[in-house]
Amino acid sequence: MSMKSLIIITDERRVGGMLMAARTLSEQVIAVVVGSPSLAETVATWGFERVLNLEPASGIPAEAYAALLAEVTADIKPRLILASDMPSSRVLLAAVAAKQNAAIIGAVRAITVCGDTIITSRSMADDKVLEDIKTAGVIAGIFIGDDLEKPQTQAVAIEHIEQKNAAHIKLKGIIEPEGNAGLLTAARVVSVGSGIKAKNDIKLIEELAQAAQAEIGCTLPICDDVRWLPTHRVVGSTHNQIAPELYIAIGISGQPQHLAGVRDAKIVVAINNDPEARILKNCNYGIVGDLYKIVPALTAAFKNLV
Amino acid sequence: MKVITVFKWLRNPQDALVKADGSIEWPGVKMSANDDDPAVMEIAAALASGDEIIALTIGDGDLAWAAARGATRTTVITDALTEVNSSVTGAILAAAVKHLGDAEVIIIGDSSWDYGVVSAFIGQLGRPALAGVTAAQLQEGCIQVTRKLGSVSQVLEVNTPLVLAAMATQSEKNEPSMKQVLTARKKPMEKLTLEELGFSSPFTTVSSLKTRFPDTPPAVLIKGDDPVCACEELMAALHTEGVL
Ligand SMILES: Cc1cc2nc3c(=O)[nH]c(=O)nc-3n(C[C@H](O)[C@H](O)[C@H](O)COP(=O)(O)OP(=O)(O)OC[C@H]3O[C@@H](n4cnc5c(N)ncnc54)[C@H](O)[C@@H]3O)c2cc1C
Repeated sequence: MSMKSLIIITDERRVGGMLMAARTLSEQVIAVVVGSPSLAETVATWGFERVLNLEPASGIPAEAYAALLAEVTADIKPRLILASDMPSSRVLLAAVAAKQNAAIIGAVRAITVCGDTIITSRSMADDKVLEDIKTAGVIAGIFIGDDLEKPQTQAVAIEHIEQKNAAHIKLKGIIEPEGNAGLLTAARVVSVGSGIKAKNDIKLIEELAQAAQAEIGCTLPICDDVRWLPTHRVVGSTHNQIAPELYIAIGISGQPQHLAGVRDAKIVVAINNDPEARILKNCNYGIVGDLYKIVPALTAAFKNLV
Repeated sequence: MKVITVFKWLRNPQDALVKADGSIEWPGVKMSANDDDPAVMEIAAALASGDEIIALTIGDGDLAWAAARGATRTTVITDALTEVNSSVTGAILAAAVKHLGDAEVIIIGDSSWDYGVVSAFIGQLGRPALAGVTAAQLQEGCIQVTRKLGSVSQVLEVNTPLVLAAMATQSEKNEPSMKQVLTARKKPMEKLTLEELGFSSPFTTVSSLKTRFPDTPPAVLIKGDDPVCACEELMAALHTEGVL
């Protein structure tokens, strides 16, 4: 069986991580970019052996080409197909995997090769454990593993796929979040949860954010239940997924929906007075204590930095 | 518009019992509805506009869950279990949809509990599909769908046949009343086995070797009794990590 890998790309999310995972078994890793030529050009400098580009017609989303993509990639016969967990990538993966009769595995963190055996490790039981899975045939994985910095490589030529036969899906409008997009690109984020007791106390968080030159984030209840901060500040699976260098979670229990929003953060710090809080098992550093005492001290410590 | 909804197709990962050696067990844990299943039923109600909503589920657990939330009738594949290979679960659900006859719209929860099943189901049905869907409504003979892509939402116009993977953005706001739950138990219920469905897995074997703890280092915990000392210790660590 061929040991080619096919990576389906609709945005830059986890491109490097997927390439590295595929590299463990394939000398030929092929990227198929369903998106703009400029995205394809960026992907062409990542180090793939081949880059294919299907550019959607104006106002038509990537998913409209799922059947076409399955058709045009049929001959590649990859052993491994990977896509990120972005909704559009998952729909494209669905069509390609069905065509290749692949076994689909969600939440893939790593791929290892042991002799002739390919082992896919996926996240299980709410990220508490990894499950190693052995597969005989074609594997289609939804990749949530670590990403990589982009290497500097020579660009490969882009092969264009002619777009036709789009399903009837048309873009009618885009609803941008009403607030500033600073949270999405911030290097530091200070985030607050229901451990904070009064609206006025948000001031403590603002002071820390200012001293640490950080953006402010929050959990869903701080927005939906008490409305102390607006929707565009909510971090989590259903709101903003962010990748700051430093994420400081204050009075946040660390439910899966929240943690999914900071999976790509480099360092997570938690401040929580409950030693059993879930977040204290899912962070890099945790201070076990009362946020009303720790936050002012931390603000002072950041002020001392400059 | 006839709508088929899928609910309760997995066990809640939070219910897994993780043992000291990293192995996991599911003592007495039944299949349960996920966070996104209520959103499935809401979208189904908006699109069906009074027509039939057929709910589909597998395995054990509360079979009347969808009926209490507006499903006209329910079909359960009783002996379908959670599979290592998500393609098998997806294919079983897709076979059951075909058994139920043509529906214009088919909706499943876009659950991060296992995105693999969602993709497998979509792929096996082979119809146009959208994931991350937060709302849908009928508009001038078309369906208008709102879906989240990163932090922006897109409004899309689509035709049937269609598969939607629905995503909830908050917990369920209108849980059914006791009366609705009791009425739901009297609604029609069809029980099928995989054999009756004529299902045999077309997939090569996928087997779980083991589960284990990830090799990420455990969190460094600092006592906060003396806030100033604790913060100094933290700042020194962050400095070493290169994030200051
Ligand atoms: C469909 C759906 C989607 C969701 N999407 C999201 C999402 O995108 N983002 C999100 O955040 N949530 C989301 N949620 C909600 C999520 O499930 C949790 O309810 C939420 O994240 C919990 O918020 P919290 O940590 O602020 O509150 P809690 O869970 O109440 O935690 C508060 C924490 O503060 C600590 N604490 C209390 N007092 C102090 C003190 N004085 N000092 C220090 N610590 C203290 C407590 O020990 C506790 O750990 C979603 C839920 C559903 C059902």
